[in-house]
Amino acid sequence: MSESNATIELKGISKNFKKNTIIDGLDLFVNAGEFLVLLGPSGCGKSTTLRMIAGLEEPSSGKVLIDSQDRNQTKDDGHTIAMVFQDYALYPNMTVYQNLEYALKVHKVPSKNRTKLIENVLDTLNLTKYRDRLPSQLSGGQKQRVAVGRGMVKKSKIFLLDEPLSNIDVQLREKARDEIQKLHVTNNQTIVYVTHDQLEAMALGDRIAVMNQGIIQMIDIPENIYNQPTNLFVAKFIGTPQINVIEVSLKSNQLVLDETPIMQIQKPGLGADSYYLGIRPESLRCSKTKQTDLSFTVTVENIIDYGRFVQLLLVMENSHHLKAIVNNNEFKVNEKIFVTLEQTTSILFDLTTEKNLYWGNYE
Amino acid sequence: MLKKKLNLWHVLLIIIILGAIFPILFMVSNSFKTLRDSYGTMLNLIPLHPTFENYSLLNKQVNLLGLTWNTFLMATMVTVGKLLTGLLTAYAFRSYQFKGKMLIYLIFVSTIFVPFTIVMIPNYLVISKLNLLNNIIGVALPQLCDATGIMIFLKTMEKIPNSLIDAAKIDNIPNRKIFFNIVVPILKPSIVSVGAIFFINSWNEYVWPTLILKDKSSFTLPLALQNYISSEGGTNFPLAMALSTIMVVLPLIIYLIFQKYILNSISNSGLK
Amino acid sequence: MQNKNKKFLPFLYLLPTAILLIVFLIVPILYTFYLSFFDWNLIAPTKEFVGMRNYLEVFTDPVNQKVILNTLIYIVFLVVLNFLFPYFISLIVKFFISKMQGAYKVLFFIPSLFSLVVGAMVFTWILNPVSGPLAYVLKNVGISMPNWSNSGILAITVICFITNWKVFGYNFILLLTGLGSIPKNIIDAAKVDGIPKWRLIWNVILPMNQGIAIYVLILTIVQGLQYVFTPINVITTGGPYYGSSNMIYQTYLNAFVLYKTGTSSALAIVTFVIFLILLFIEIRFVERKAKNYA
Repeated sequence: MSESNATIELKGISKNFKKNTIIDGLDLFVNAGEFLVLLGPSGCGKSTTLRMIAGLEEPSSGKVLIDSQDRNQTKDDGHTIAMVFQDYALYPNMTVYQNLEYALKVHKVPSKNRTKLIENVLDTLNLTKYRDRLPSQLSGGQKQRVAVGRGMVKKSKIFLLDEPLSNIDVQLREKARDEIQKLHVTNNQTIVYVTHDQLEAMALGDRIAVMNQGIIQMIDIPENIYNQPTNLFVAKFIGTPQINVIEVSLKSNQLVLDETPIMQIQKPGLGADSYYLGIRPESLRCSKTKQTDLSFTVTVENIIDYGRFVQLLLVMENSHHLKAIVNNNEFKVNEKIFVTLEQTTSILFDLTTEKNLYWGNYE
Repeated sequence: MLKKKLNLWHVLLIIIILGAIFPILFMVSNSFKTLRDSYGTMLNLIPLHPTFENYSLLNKQVNLLGLTWNTFLMATMVTVGKLLTGLLTAYAFRSYQFKGKMLIYLIFVSTIFVPFTIVMIPNYLVISKLNLLNNIIGVALPQLCDATGIMIFLKTMEKIPNSLIDAAKIDNIPNRKIFFNIVVPILKPSIVSVGAIFFINSWNEYVWPTLILKDKSSFTLPLALQNYISSEGGTNFPLAMALSTIMVVLPLIIYLIFQKYILNSISNSGLK
Repeated sequence: MQNKNKKFLPFLYLLPTAILLIVFLIVPILYTFYLSFFDWNLIAPTKEFVGMRNYLEVFTDPVNQKVILNTLIYIVFLVVLNFLFPYFISLIVKFFISKMQGAYKVLFFIPSLFSLVVGAMVFTWILNPVSGPLAYVLKNVGISMPNWSNSGILAITVICFITNWKVFGYNFILLLTGLGSIPKNIIDAAKVDGIPKWRLIWNVILPMNQGIAIYVLILTIVQGLQYVFTPINVITTGGPYYGSSNMIYQTYLNAFVLYKTGTSSALAIVTFVIFLILLFIEIRFVERKAKNYA
């Protein structure tokens, strides 16, 4: 057991509020020192999961283990876990310094150590000159740093953060994100971080757990979450613009869209059936000339230049829309162009279970 | 371990409720006992031989219908008056900017801190000059305006979005119509609850009526009840219990119907 | 024309309230102030100017001194019973139980619906030292019930309990509402940090709830001193020998029983000044806090 971090294990956790099931049979293991992000749309149960780890909610069934010990059996002295809340939950009647000091004082940390700890944290977070201000006299970003600081001074083994950046200005968010990352590198605590912002999740997480409707849909490193989503929900939830999904059928090793073959595949064992084909916008290859026999024509309906890249809105002959991202735009609105798809950069989902059939990396 | 601790708090709270409710149960049950029965079995909350004797005797001694009517009429006058002045004042505050607004507002807040003793003598003199002694109008007249009501209405009105009023103004709807057709309907829940609170308070009122109503025919229920308690006449306590029971019925019914509104309004009145 | 009309309109809406306030509040206050410098008996055609004598009497007359002392005792009792007690219970309901909060609110409020005359009547019987049920219960345990109406301090205690019966639920709801507006996350944050509940209440909750608490505290004093009028008048009429009277009741006695309008008015003015000081504190504190937490 390390001094600075702890493992978290959720075993068969369910949570019901009245008759609604919020969490349904959830299992999760967080390694010591890991930065895990819980990502999902609002109402998916990610905050409830975090609150159960924190001990703020009792699971209806199942166990929360911290360093293999049942959370409800061990008496918590408030040292193991620190938590940052979405609206910061700063004590409004205490100054910045007092907010950081309060828990230490209650737990009788000697005042010499206390001062040193707090001053260190204030310094790290650039809060030293605000130490005597009340929360009401701080800006949103400053409040957020105080909230993080209040968690930091405890030097806890586990650090929980519940959407800590969602209430601050977009311009400050990136900087705050970097600060949290730096903090993890230096302190090596186990971090569970809840967010609905996929960019935050991608940037911060060692692993990301994508949740929906009380179930972890996928838990993996960011790269795999993006490139190999386990199912259609994860594929659609991650990535902007959203992944293109079209319904295709498989006929003699060719994927066919409305009688038009669009892709040659090499995967044994797939039935002649209908599937969902998912292609990330950046994986569509657009060209003015026909690249292969399977290239198909689309019409450019709309072009948005984001500066860094250009997004094309394309209409297929069956009037289905596709989005494509290109680096250099050589196309015009209403121009007819060609699109080519490749097996290695696209994903195939089962039509009913919506699960990834993992064929792209099958070589 | 934790569960047991919680239960103990519930025990304390239930004891408090019993302490609050017991006097009422004691009162109602003894009003249905004869004088002799009640002395022997005062603590029996269920009368052994329930009887309406006290009520019929009471009806012979005092004009029950007249008393109730007087009380009802006075409470209604006060309630309507307070609601009207309160709504008009709050609407003026909500809709217009004018000089001295802050000062007038502070005066309203301050009226809660005016002890009734400081207006008692002059108001008594005014009512007697107006020849309204022994008249419930004399009781109601100085009480037709109430700061608490103004505050609650103002708080509710401030929640009405400006755009709603502006939209009506753009459609050239006259102010009077905006007030009655838009503002009043939105305020309905708070009018009902504040009205219920005004009515109950006025129904129970004692201090000011004792100064104005000296003649028994003009009495309201609380004044009649007082006659059954005063050291001289207060030996037949089941009779006093019966009159009290009559007095508490109406407030209780109002509370049962509007309970949610009433509690909400009280909560709101305290929020700064 | 249109413009002039618009300027005039708010005052039209304010007119009924303004007339009532001027006729029945502002002018009477001024008139009482005027009367406090005269000797008068409410009926006589002439009033005799006596300068500050009435005020001097308020502070030097032994009966008035006793009444002022009683008023202080009343304030202490009222604060304990009608403020601290409901505050404690609202903290329990808010932080130490999770179920039935709504039911407690509904039930606690019931006595507030009833007249203090009813309360005074029922409690004089329940507490009747000879034949009341409490005396009966106590006798069975071997304690004899004191004749409380013969003792000023006991009478004050009983009278305060009667108002407590009526006011408890009301103040409980106000204070509980105040506690309810404290963000839940702050309580959760303290829970995660392992801060004991009473410690959190003392260090964070009470300071945060200060605004509404001071409002209720001051209301408890200002209204409480007036509420006790009813049980005093119904049960003791101020006795034994002014032992249960307070400044409010003494003002009434002087005006309508002793016909000493001057003393009465001076007492009323002194009471008003005390209340105004409380009002000032209220505005100061509640406003300041509101700004801080915004």
